[in-house]
Amino acid sequence: MNLESFQTRVLPVKNKLYRFALRFLGNEDEAQDIVQEVFIRVWNGREQMTEVQNWEAWCMRITKNLSLDRIRTMTRKQTQPIEEGFAIMHSAPSPYESTEAKESMSRIAQIIAGLPEKQRQVIHLRDVEGYSYNEICEIMELDMNQVKVNLFRARNAVREKMTKINAYGL
Amino acid sequence: MDSSKLQQLLQKYWSGETTLEEEQLLKDHFQQAEVPDKLREVAAMFRYYEQTKKNALNDIAFDRTLIEKVTGKSKQGRMRSLVFNSMRIAAGVVVVMAATWFIRKEIRQTTPQEVVDTYNDPKLAFEETKKALMMISKSFGNAEEQAKKINMFNEAQEEIQKTSTSD
Repeated sequence: MNLESFQTRVLPVKNKLYRFALRFLGNEDEAQDIVQEVFIRVWNGREQMTEVQNWEAWCMRITKNLSLDRIRTMTRKQTQPIEEGFAIMHSAPSPYESTEAKESMSRIAQIIAGLPEKQRQVIHLRDVEGYSYNEICEIMELDMNQVKVNLFRARNAVREKMTKINAYGL
Repeated sequence: MDSSKLQQLLQKYWSGETTLEEEQLLKDHFQQAEVPDKLREVAAMFRYYEQTKKNALNDIAFDRTLIEKVTGKSKQGRMRSLVFNSMRIAAGVVVVMAATWFIRKEIRQTTPQEVVDTYNDPKLAFEETKKALMMISKSFGNAEEQAKKINMFNEAQEEIQKTSTSD
């Protein structure tokens, strides 16, 4: 693979990788850093790329693994749990996000950020990125059943929390 | 989409049975402004998913830094390894040179000065060397004579052994 095909074929997937890493890390700079590292790895291992059948899923899987490594080092370094960082990120609406609709969207973001990690990733891959179940299996290194169960639980957890908010204003 | 079909699709969605196409239908439906109150949160959820998908990196700056890193890094790496290897060789040469210098210095210090360069005239030096070698060869000659005497003992011993075995 030369630089040109790297730029035209691989690089366009960067935003998906970025959003995926962001879902793990909750920090834009860290996520961007991860994406850069993924691409450097892909470039360095470009000789083996021909053997990879679905390289987009492959890139996503590297993103997942690097993000998990980063989370591990982050939790070792910081005393404040990562979830708090997420809450801060999503609960501070910008001046443009003052309308009611925006507020409820930010609540959804918070609900999703509060999900267990696998559920959070699976619901992101399916409902945001629109990946097929097979692709999610490949990315998350889970079997079909686990993917479906995680997605089902994630969707229902979101639904339940939304209902609570509606009913009690919690 | 009519409300009964919507309810049906939503039901399928919550039980995890929708296809990607059906999920897209739901997303598209909730992008519309008019949404009944009871579906407000659900609409917000689908809008959030669509909105999140627009979240992107700073394209140009990111691409530029990445390409620089990817292309520059390999060149830099090659240069670095070249420099590193020559540094290693240079360090080896320096160590050998330093060792030689120290050993020479040590030898010069331990060797008595009077031994070094005793004669200025080469002829005289040659004569002296010859004399010294002659002295050594003479000593060797003497030693050989002495050794022959020892040999006599050996022969005597052999004779005794012969006689004792024949007895």
